Amino acid sequence: MANTLRLYLTCIRNTLEAAMCLQNFPCQEVERHNKPEVELKTSPELLLNPVLICRNEAEKCLVETSINSIRISLKVKQADELENILAKKFLRFLSMRAEAFQVLRRKPVQGYDISFLITNYHCEDMHKHKLIDFIVQFMEDIDKEISELKLSVNTRGRLVATEFLKQFI
Amino acid sequence: MGCRLVPVIAFCPNTTEVHIYKFFTDKWEKLHVLAKHDQIVSGIDWSRSSNKIVTVSHDRNSYVWTQEGQDWVPTLVILKLNRAALCVQWSPKENKFAVGSGAKSVSICYYEQENNWWISKVIRKKHESSVTSIAWHPNNIHLATTSTDGKCRVFSTIIKGVDTRGPHAGASVDWKFGELLVVLVTFSPIWMQQIAQLDLSPTWAFGVRWSPSGKTLAYAGHSSMIYFVDDVEGSPAVQNLALRDLPLRDILFVSEKMAIGVGFDCNPLIFAADETGLWSFVRYLDERKVTPSTSKASQLSEALGKLYGQSRQGSSSDTVEPSKPRGGAHENCITCIVPLRKGSESIVKRFSTSGLDGKIVVWDLENHITIPK
Repeated sequence: MANTLRLYLTCIRNTLEAAMCLQNFPCQEVERHNKPEVELKTSPELLLNPVLICRNEAEKCLVETSINSIRISLKVKQADELENILAKKFLRFLSMRAEAFQVLRRKPVQGYDISFLITNYHCEDMHKHKLIDFIVQFMEDIDKEISELKLSVNTRGRLVATEFLKQFI
Repeated sequence: MGCRLVPVIAFCPNTTEVHIYKFFTDKWEKLHVLAKHDQIVSGIDWSRSSNKIVTVSHDRNSYVWTQEGQDWVPTLVILKLNRAALCVQWSPKENKFAVGSGAKSVSICYYEQENNWWISKVIRKKHESSVTSIAWHPNNIHLATTSTDGKCRVFSTIIKGVDTRGPHAGASVDWKFGELLVVLVTFSPIWMQQIAQLDLSPTWAFGVRWSPSGKTLAYAGHSSMIYFVDDVEGSPAVQNLALRDLPLRDILFVSEKMAIGVGFDCNPLIFAADETGLWSFVRYLDERKVTPSTSKASQLSEALGKLYGQSRQGSSSDTVEPSKPRGGAHENCITCIVPLRKGSESIVKRFSTSGLDGKIVVWDLENHITIPK
């Protein structure tokens, strides 16, 4: 299992490495605008084909590239309802603080749990390899985080139940 | 973003200003700041003999700066563009300059003596997308452009009163202004093949350049390809060269048989042609420090770990090794490469590159490699 995760992450890393070739590009439809083309999608020739990397049905990563921006959308593993709720709450918590992360998008792309938007300005300010490391690290950590949360919720539930049922003894 | 001439250099630090630095014996000192644009400056070119600087910006304007005494005085050039200007270059005779723009057009500007005013003529409706790069043929008439629609075009830019029909122009051929001579399409079968592996679709073209004699045209595609085109006006002979690494942004011919490519790989690439005119990749200019091959060792220890029931590796086996910074002179994409010539040398031995990491590096080729003529 560990090995397949590594392959999945390596694949994403290599894809990002190749896709993150961004440059400053002013909008060619609207005067004096400079907006991420991957969001506006005004000129089809400025977009590249999206790449979808799937580990399995529940876990996938969509990389959409344009001339001045790249959007990475993740779907996180959710095995049961509890994980579903935890993932939703946790990622909502992160999305609401998107400014602090700079590259995080406030709303995920439809069908995905969380999205990153990296523009040429991010690539100018930050090291490209660090940005990629961040995304990959994030993907590694999110699974761990959710399974830890799940464990603690279960433990707490068990404790609460024992405490509650003690009064009936 | 742009850079020019040693010991005086003009560059844009990715803002609305252009800085001019001069080298005094041991350090660079800021001489002037050209602040007139109100959006990021996208192109700078310094004419060699007439000592004029032309700057273009995303604010759709262009200024020609002339030195009067100590100061640089700007003259506004109306480009007749309604989108950002992206690139600029003086013609070889320095009586015209061309501006490529996001308005899918190219403006050719020339000075009108009577009105003391720069006039621009626009080549419209020939490009299907933004013009990313332009290059003047040494004959002062042909202009090559690359665009984000993946095509490279060559135009004729004869302007009455500015261009006299010299021996270069060829008496038998009568080109009109804005006449489209050639369209080179990068959508070749090899390109398609290359793309299928990466699963990226249409590509953009960048960094068009003519060789010193104007015989060969080179430009780069975003699909990590470089194209060398011989005999552009007759029957173009195209050579595609696929690169192993990331795409190029700009190209410089150091001689007829050698070119330097710079781009997202943060390290200049050397290309050379053999006697038959066949181009090939030679090597990286900046030798990277060879890191000891840790990957082999880790593979071995990984196998050992498997042998011992993975007890030794534990959780670390599912983490991906963090990528290492590139150990070269530049740490981010190189956007511009400019030759540094002394007098009228035909071979470029020194050039400067500037990147998005805020560095300008001057390279000397003489100690590195022999340049074929």
